[in-house]
Amino acid sequence: MFGFIRPMKSELRVREADRFQQVYCGLCHAIRARYGRFYTLFLSYDMTFYALVTGGDRADTAPPCRRRCDAHPLIPRPCAAPDGALERAADVSVLLTYHKFRDSLADEKGAKRALAWLLCRLGRRGYRRARERLPEADREVVAALDDLRALERERCDSMDRAADASARMTAAVVPRTGDDRERVLRQMFYHVGRWVYLLDAAQDVAEDLGQGSYNPVVLRYGLRTPDLTEIREPLERTLERSLADICMAYDLLDFGRDAELVRNIIFLGMPLVTKQVLDGTYQTNGGRGKHGSL
Amino acid sequence: MDPYKVLGVTPQTSDDDVKRAYRELARKYHPDNYINNPLADLAEARMKEINEAYDMIMNERAGKSGAGASGGGQQSGGGQYGGSQQQRAYSGPNATLYSQVRQAINQGNLGMAEQLLQRANGRDAEWFFLMGTVYYRKGWYDEAARAYTQACQMDPSNMEYRTALNNLNMSGGYGGYRPMQEASLCDLCVQLAICNCCLNACCNAGC
Repeated sequence: MFGFIRPMKSELRVREADRFQQVYCGLCHAIRARYGRFYTLFLSYDMTFYALVTGGDRADTAPPCRRRCDAHPLIPRPCAAPDGALERAADVSVLLTYHKFRDSLADEKGAKRALAWLLCRLGRRGYRRARERLPEADREVVAALDDLRALERERCDSMDRAADASARMTAAVVPRTGDDRERVLRQMFYHVGRWVYLLDAAQDVAEDLGQGSYNPVVLRYGLRTPDLTEIREPLERTLERSLADICMAYDLLDFGRDAELVRNIIFLGMPLVTKQVLDGTYQTNGGRGKHGSL
Repeated sequence: MDPYKVLGVTPQTSDDDVKRAYRELARKYHPDNYINNPLADLAEARMKEINEAYDMIMNERAGKSGAGASGGGQQSGGGQYGGSQQQRAYSGPNATLYSQVRQAINQGNLGMAEQLLQRANGRDAEWFFLMGTVYYRKGWYDEAARAYTQACQMDPSNMEYRTALNNLNMSGGYGGYRPMQEASLCDLCVQLAICNCCLNACCNAGC
């Protein structure tokens, strides 16, 4: 995951911003308790969003507990109390992170490949445990990743086809409740995955052009320079459609908590990031590069 | 079902505010927003619930105050949609195949529709239009736009193709939402402020 999914901070209420940080920290602690320190290094805002949405059907928010961690060893920070939703988000986070390592191992060359190999080795035990907890999701993710690799090999020039494989992965990890809620969440996370994949491709255009790596946006529009101005409009339109589908899925979900926070992320944060990436003004961590800063 | 909860109001809310809350929700879940969306049936169920809740509250209030009817019900949603597109009869080599494809799409069986389309003899405008609709339903919006554009180029006079392409481009299908516009609203404010300054400056200079 890439960390594109974040709230628009200027529009957040103070308690919502606090809650976001608490869920982020709570998720980190849940990962550490279930899988050890290693996987906490790869925690992202995207997974915080996942935890907020999938836990949103619960009616009550338990009061936060205060805990220390590696990043804040002296003063304990308030953390969301561990619950089923956070634990599940931790499992999903480990599953997707490990598959991302595997993906880099297959794609990269040289030093990056060596690093990916190392990460795979270090993460294997945690992955096995996550796979035991989420066997169906893992099967679906593996199948989608295989499809994605095949499409990359044949240098598929359809953005949608490539994005579909990636989007099926994020749709596969929603809680399997077998009811309408699962349907809505699947549709929502399908388009979250599509949006993230295409936006990431747009963000990487310059780098991939330089290295000659696979990039669906480059192939679709036959780009020769990293300049996005010409394709900005159609790209924005197709991304906007996915955002609209996410909005409409959101409207069909019943929230018992965090509705406003999730709404901020979907209706304000994600459109803002889209705009920033297409403008070339996007910066990770809101430009502050500080751990956990919005 | 608690009708007040459905509309997000209380028994103390005034009639006008209930009406406003109802309109707001009806706009959100209106079937027009969910055309070609796989969750259309859920939105329709919501719409029905909202309509019922509104009727219940208004009937109840009308009963209490002793008046007769309740301001003539606001039955806007749940009406006809989807099938209202202007569809010109297709007569070509693939006529029966294409009607099967349309049926499959309407039933939500996209895999079948795609398979049927692969069997077609040659690819005419109608083929690209139907393929575009399959893509649209799947959420493959870039492919959908490509296919619809192709269909329009091959048969520029067909209104159904043109409407579909416009819906896709103008996001006509999703009513209220222009996610990207909410984000650039701040820009708009700045622009307005600047315009305002300019106007003031001009007027002042003129006087």
